[in-house]
Amino acid sequence: MKSRKALIFWCALLLVIVCLTVFAQFISPYGTNEMNMDRIYEEPGKNHVLGTDHLGRDVMTRLLEGGKATLSIAVVSVLMSLIIGVIYGGISGYIGGFVDVVMMRFLEALIAIPSVIIILAFQAMMQGGVWSMAFIIGITNWLVTARIVRSEFIRLREAEFVQMAKMFGTPTWKIILQHMLRNSIPAVFVVTLFNFAGAVFMEVSLSFLGIGVPPSIPSWGSMLYYAQNDILIGAWWIGVFPGLMIFATILAINFIGEALKNPERRRLNA
Amino acid sequence: MLEISGLTIEVDQKPIVEQSSFSVPHGKITSIIGESGSGKSMTVAALLDILPPGGRVCGQALLNGMNLLDYANKDMKALRKSHIFTIFQDAANSFNPSVKMKSQLYELAGRRMNDTLSQFHTKMENVLQDLGLSATLMEQYPFELSGGMLQRSMIACAFYIKPKLLIADEPTSAIDVILQDEFIELLKLLNVEYGTTILFITHDLDVVVEVSEEMVVMHDGKVVESGKVKTLFERPQHSYTKRLLNSRF
Repeated sequence: MKSRKALIFWCALLLVIVCLTVFAQFISPYGTNEMNMDRIYEEPGKNHVLGTDHLGRDVMTRLLEGGKATLSIAVVSVLMSLIIGVIYGGISGYIGGFVDVVMMRFLEALIAIPSVIIILAFQAMMQGGVWSMAFIIGITNWLVTARIVRSEFIRLREAEFVQMAKMFGTPTWKIILQHMLRNSIPAVFVVTLFNFAGAVFMEVSLSFLGIGVPPSIPSWGSMLYYAQNDILIGAWWIGVFPGLMIFATILAINFIGEALKNPERRRLNA
Repeated sequence: MLEISGLTIEVDQKPIVEQSSFSVPHGKITSIIGESGSGKSMTVAALLDILPPGGRVCGQALLNGMNLLDYANKDMKALRKSHIFTIFQDAANSFNPSVKMKSQLYELAGRRMNDTLSQFHTKMENVLQDLGLSATLMEQYPFELSGGMLQRSMIACAFYIKPKLLIADEPTSAIDVILQDEFIELLKLLNVEYGTTILFITHDLDVVVEVSEEMVVMHDGKVVESGKVKTLFERPQHSYTKRLLNSRF
């Protein structure tokens, strides 16, 4: 019961953050890149709720708009890694045997390389915006999903209801979709949530290092990157609020995943 | 009904069943008895074409003059689909946990008879009622039902299809004694009412006595003895059968 309340709380928090960023343009009256040189480094107050930055841009506007970039990169990359992971793991787990061995060794080789290195290499080649960031994170983030899907498929392949379906001549696509994929959903869902938190973190880290989205597009990571200098002159509000947003988002996603991982919630121990 | 001769099963070049021959007479209940690892479940797997990867089979299993072990034969697949029904040990694992009973029972029974959904509903509700099950279970998920109810739902499918041959692989070992008894009564009813030939796999000698007329004793991958239950109980020939009979309480 306790875990259920916690789950609701964290889901609500995540929902609030998502809604704030989605409806950013209705919430804040300023433009994302609207500069006002008369009002630089203004502290949080009446006109600018969260203050302004070194170009007199409204921090709250950029914070909410920045969430849009960060969260859409995370969502797109997670969907991409989910699709690749399910297909790769599914093939490996369903076919098994030699194919499985080769595919898994290849996967392990990829896991052995830190994904940041692969991302850096891709970023150096593509030097792209939001979509290419999503693509780069997506194609490096599917490894764990593939492993989970494979292990679920191997478990379910031996299950009697799958054997029976095969015996009765159920078409293979139906077995894969209805019997195997459907029963893998709980595990895949949890790992996807953790991937989502990882993708948010990856975007933030890259942008913080200055190799993420272009400067014209605000994101939580790039806001932190520019806030480094501002902190030194005492403008704490430029860095603290994006930091809090990142903190709250990742924490919420992780706690949701943790609550769903709870074995009591799982009914599938077939 | 089913003539098995020279059945040999290998998994990864290791022999599991060697040169086994026995027959399942038409319209009767035949039990295969043997300890774990004696190859009785593998025999069933071979008949149903669900051998594990690396499994190889030779020999013959003639059902109505057609070889069940000829997996590539399309007609054989159709025959298996229309004539044979199977009940496995653990009914909880025989159903997909995330799909409602209604659609699973339809897949198992209705679709095989080429019935429409509404035809299936009326027929299945009658069958369930006859077996003392509530029709509301159609709207439930397998994990909401007990093992005994699931096993009875399985046999409800058998009553629905009225197959020529029912293969039951240790169907009673996962349910308690009272349910076991009920289940066996249902099997007998199926046999008497529709003349279904039943091949019953078990390791429980008491169940054999209770349910079947014919029995096949398997030991170490070989059929050591087969014949009428009564005869075998009175005059066991093979030393393993004797040991088996002596081990009864």
